[in-house]
Amino acid sequence: MNPTINVKDYEPIVGKSYIEELSMLAHRLSGKTVLNINSTFAGGGVAEILSRLVPLLNQLGVDVRWQIISGDTQFFEVTKKLHNALHGKVEPISDDEFSLFLETTKGNLDQIDFSGDILFIHDPQPVALIAKKGDIGRNWIWRCHIDISHPDSRVWEFLKQFVINYDAGVLSSPNFAQELPIRQFFAPPSIDPLSDKNRELPAEAVGSVLAKYGLNQDKPLILQISRFDWLKDPLGVIEAFELVRKNFACQLVLAGGTASDDPESGEVLEKVKERAGGNPDIHILDIPPGSDIDINALQRAATIIMQKSLREGFALTITEALWKAKPVVASAVGGIPLQVKNKLTGLLCHSIEGAAYALRQILANPDYGRWLGHNGREHVHQHFLITREIRDYLLVFLTLERKEDFINL
Amino acid sequence: MVIIDWLRVNWLNIAVPVLVFFGVFSISLWLRRISYNALERWLKERKTEINTIIISATRGPFLHWFLILGAYIALQVSVLEPQWKSLGGRILASIFIAYFGWILIRLSRELIHLYLNRAKVLDKAIVATTSITQVTIIVIGVLILLELWGAPMTPILIIAIAAILITILVFRDIFPNLVSGFQLTQQKQIKTGDLISLKSGEGGRVEEITWRNTRIKTLEGNIIIIPNNKLMQTTIINYGKQPKVATEPFEFSTRLHLKELTGLSASNLSQLASRLKEVPDAVVYYHTHSFVEEYQFLTPEPTNDFALWVQDALGYDILAERLASIDTFEFPTVGALRQMITGVIQDFLAQTSNEREAPLGNEFHFIKSISIVMPTPYVAHDLQEFVNILRRVSIGSLYFHIFEARLRLQRVTNDFSLWLEECLGEKELAEQITRLDPYNYTMENLREIIIQLCEKRL
Repeated sequence: MNPTINVKDYEPIVGKSYIEELSMLAHRLSGKTVLNINSTFAGGGVAEILSRLVPLLNQLGVDVRWQIISGDTQFFEVTKKLHNALHGKVEPISDDEFSLFLETTKGNLDQIDFSGDILFIHDPQPVALIAKKGDIGRNWIWRCHIDISHPDSRVWEFLKQFVINYDAGVLSSPNFAQELPIRQFFAPPSIDPLSDKNRELPAEAVGSVLAKYGLNQDKPLILQISRFDWLKDPLGVIEAFELVRKNFACQLVLAGGTASDDPESGEVLEKVKERAGGNPDIHILDIPPGSDIDINALQRAATIIMQKSLREGFALTITEALWKAKPVVASAVGGIPLQVKNKLTGLLCHSIEGAAYALRQILANPDYGRWLGHNGREHVHQHFLITREIRDYLLVFLTLERKEDFINL
Repeated sequence: MVIIDWLRVNWLNIAVPVLVFFGVFSISLWLRRISYNALERWLKERKTEINTIIISATRGPFLHWFLILGAYIALQVSVLEPQWKSLGGRILASIFIAYFGWILIRLSRELIHLYLNRAKVLDKAIVATTSITQVTIIVIGVLILLELWGAPMTPILIIAIAAILITILVFRDIFPNLVSGFQLTQQKQIKTGDLISLKSGEGGRVEEITWRNTRIKTLEGNIIIIPNNKLMQTTIINYGKQPKVATEPFEFSTRLHLKELTGLSASNLSQLASRLKEVPDAVVYYHTHSFVEEYQFLTPEPTNDFALWVQDALGYDILAERLASIDTFEFPTVGALRQMITGVIQDFLAQTSNEREAPLGNEFHFIKSISIVMPTPYVAHDLQEFVNILRRVSIGSLYFHIFEARLRLQRVTNDFSLWLEECLGEKELAEQITRLDPYNYTMENLREIIIQLCEKRL
């Protein structure tokens, strides 16, 4: 996180009263310490959001700390399998691997300094640290950032034995909720409007990025940003674009990266390039990690932003697109319907033809596109900015022991 | 004998100065009568209060100054040695300067008090202005005396200039504030008790205007001290004196909310109806109000979650329309609202043979709304303060006092109307706000409409 960013910098975006309320909530937590525990300080969405949340919460006056668990490569291979299994992928996990998970957790239980009044545990890797609750008590919250709507039952049953000992869980979508004896709160992910990926950019910066990638600045631009993965349906996007291009002069940009831990992504990229053939209006951009400003510029230059995924988590790329007031066309999967309310904040589709139809509607009616984009930005403004995530967490910390529906603080 | 002889020889040398002295004295009496009569007439025509001050302060001294003048002329026409004439002349001139200066100080003090009091300038500013004037007169008088007595002027002037510069440096911050304080009060831009708001967004009741700063008590109860010159450089909206004070102040609260997942879901109408009967009120409340908070930017806002789901996931357009048309505003309790919704669904189910299932992933998830209410520092004692606070409180605060007060706290109407009627006696205004159907407006529109209604009363 940019160290110069202060919580007050969000005032022009969310309003003074919003920041005042955050301060009021933070004040009520004074004297308490919140300890975050996850598996890494860098890399991955959880580390990214914590690197922004922890300083901001401290600026608000809450004593928030952050520790990570340690483990060898084998341990993280097991947790990767657990992660995939929670996503619904069938993973062969042996009893020895479950034992390794428990052994590593035991080592961490001895090493970690659990000095906090509220222990905020992120994702499945450190979930079994709850064993410490028997010794030290205190409030324990499990923050699950991943989609557990259709988990592999064996893995879920294994993890559930730990989850049920927490005081509460925090989930990213209503359909992730499970039948559990503990309270489950809904707190969707968020984006940081001041980050390089989302901050305002001057027109010259946008223009220079378009020139860098050889894109036509005068032709409507349809964009999908995602890593090259079959689940993002890049071939479906090309097909929808080709249907639209019969009647509208436009260009398509598929921009993303190939993940080193995903051997399939290189293959997907090759297939996508092959499918695009020599079409001069289709641009396949393999963007290296850390190109946040390039992505920001591409999104700002786009006429329409697509996310035609076959399966999706929350889809923060959609949140980013909406924040830039862009009309979006996206599949009604995962967390996308939470953000894209059909015909209000964007257009939802269920097929290639449906996607093409939605693209045509927006290209033919720019005012409609602008209206959708405006609504989308307001929707993100109210629900998916980092300040809202901070507020949700503060509220969970403050009301953990209150069971009423109406709480006077 | 010696004296008589001396007088006999020198009678003319004595008589001439004495005659000159009395001559000047006689002329002064005549001059005083003429000039003061003219002055009195002139001042009387202008009906100014300064005549008494000027006349009473100078009538006596006028004569004394002419006595000194007479003595000076008499001295000059005498046969004394030139060095004695010079010495006597300087003594008389010194007496005149000191006397004239003293009268000038008295006069200036009285005139400054008269004018600045009339302009309602702060006491401290009056004292400061008087002191500065007096010091200036004394310094000028002393400089003239020194010049008269032949003292070396250059070092004295250097010292005087240095002293002035040091004084300016020491008072460089104070002086602009002093002048600004003077302007603020003289031009009657603000007065103690006025409710003001500044361009920076701060505002409150003016508690005190000192010669350097203005003290403002904000709507949150904090004290802001603003240097007067800063105040003069900014845009001020002055709402004037305190209007009618409420019998009890309105304390604004704010409401934040958490969404708790119940883990319950429905994939068809029967499940929806059955779950609806068993879930807590807070769940029904959430699904009939989430649109108000979540789609504040849309006009008109979408309908309740049940109608949306029935249309989007199940494709029952007629039922969706019936559910959407339920007027939440009509129901005094969540329980009554729940009964209505389940009744509509069951009526529809009774006429439907083949129930539709929602596509996988499009199930209805029951969510509970946990309201967290906190007091804010904002307190309104009158209608003007109420409007000013209403402009700046969060949407959560507005939401709490309008929606939750009525339906969740079972109050007869919204909090604003209750306070306006009971504590301010604004019955008509209260009724106007009560009649507003808040479900038909975005929260920002609602805020604006209430403000406009209140402003009409101001």
